Amino acid sequence: MIEQKTYHETVLEAAKEVFETMIFMEIEPSQETPFFQDADLLMGSITFKGDLEGCMVISMTWPCARIIARNMLALEPEADITDEETCDAIGEVSNMVMGSIKSRLQDTYSSIEVSIPSVITGKNLTGPNIEGAERICVPVSIDEDQSAVFSLLYRMRKG
Amino acid sequence: MAKTLMIVDDSATMRKIIMRTVRMSGLEFDSTEEAGNGAEALEKLKAGPVDIVLCDINMPEMSGTEMVKQARQLPNCKETKIIMVSTESSQDLINSVMADGANGYITKPFTPEKFQEKLSPFMS
Ligand SMILES: [Mg+2]
Repeated sequence: MIEQKTYHETVLEAAKEVFETMIFMEIEPSQETPFFQDADLLMGSITFKGDLEGCMVISMTWPCARIIARNMLALEPEADITDEETCDAIGEVSNMVMGSIKSRLQDTYSSIEVSIPSVITGKNLTGPNIEGAERICVPVSIDEDQSAVFSLLYRMRKG
Repeated sequence: MAKTLMIVDDSATMRKIIMRTVRMSGLEFDSTEEAGNGAEALEKLKAGPVDIVLCDINMPEMSGTEMVKQARQLPNCKETKIIMVSTESSQDLINSVMADGANGYITKPFTPEKFQEKLSPFMS
C-alpha cells in the first residue's frame, strides 16, 4: 500500500521528467489550484487497469495547451498550430506522464496496463468518476506563468 | 551504405519529435517514412522494406508488439532492425518483445544520446 503523499510526489516527479526532457519546460508544484471555471479547457486522460486501476488526467486552458504543443514540436511562439495538433500533443503528454508514473510504481504494482490516451475539450469539464477511487490533485505552474492540474484517480483491484 | 527509416507511432506529434531527435542524434537517413499504427506499418513494409523501424507499442488498430511478430514473418523484413520506442518500461514486456524479434528498446521520455547509443550499432 502506497501513501497518498507518495502518489502526489510520484505524479509530480513523472510530470517534471516528461516536461524537462521532452517539452523543454519547467514544472513546479503550485500552492493554488487554478481557477478554470467557464474557461475553454482541454483534458487529456488515460486509464489504467491491473493491480491498481484508475485514470490520470491533465487539465489546462487552450493557450497553455498551445504553448506546450509548440514547444513539443519546436515551433516559434507565434507559429500557427491547429486544434488537432494541440489535442494530439496533449494526448501524448498524458501518455508519457502515465508511462513514467507506471514505471515509478512498478515495484509495488507490476501489472498496470495503460490505455490509449484521449482528449476532450469544453467548459467546466469534470473528468471521470470512478466509484470508490481515491483522488489526488497536483496543481502545477509551467514555465512560471502557465498552470495545469494533474489528477490521479486510483483504487486497488477488487478481490 | 544508404539507410532508410520508418517511424511508427499513433501520435503525429510524437512522430515529429522522434524525427527531430533522430536528427539531433547526428544519425543520417536517406529516406524516412511514417505510419500511424502497426497495420499501416506492415502494409508499407510489404510494399518495400526499410533498414530501421522505430516503433511505438501502445497504438490503436495494431500494437507495436503485434507488428513485430507479423513483420518477422515477412520474407523481405528479415534484415530490418526494429527498435521499440515506448512509455512502457516493464522488464517482462521488454523481454517478450525482444524474444518476438525486436532488436532494441528505447523508453519515452528519451534523449538524442539514447537514440545515438541504440541506433548507431545498426548504421554501418
Ligand atoms: Mg502511442
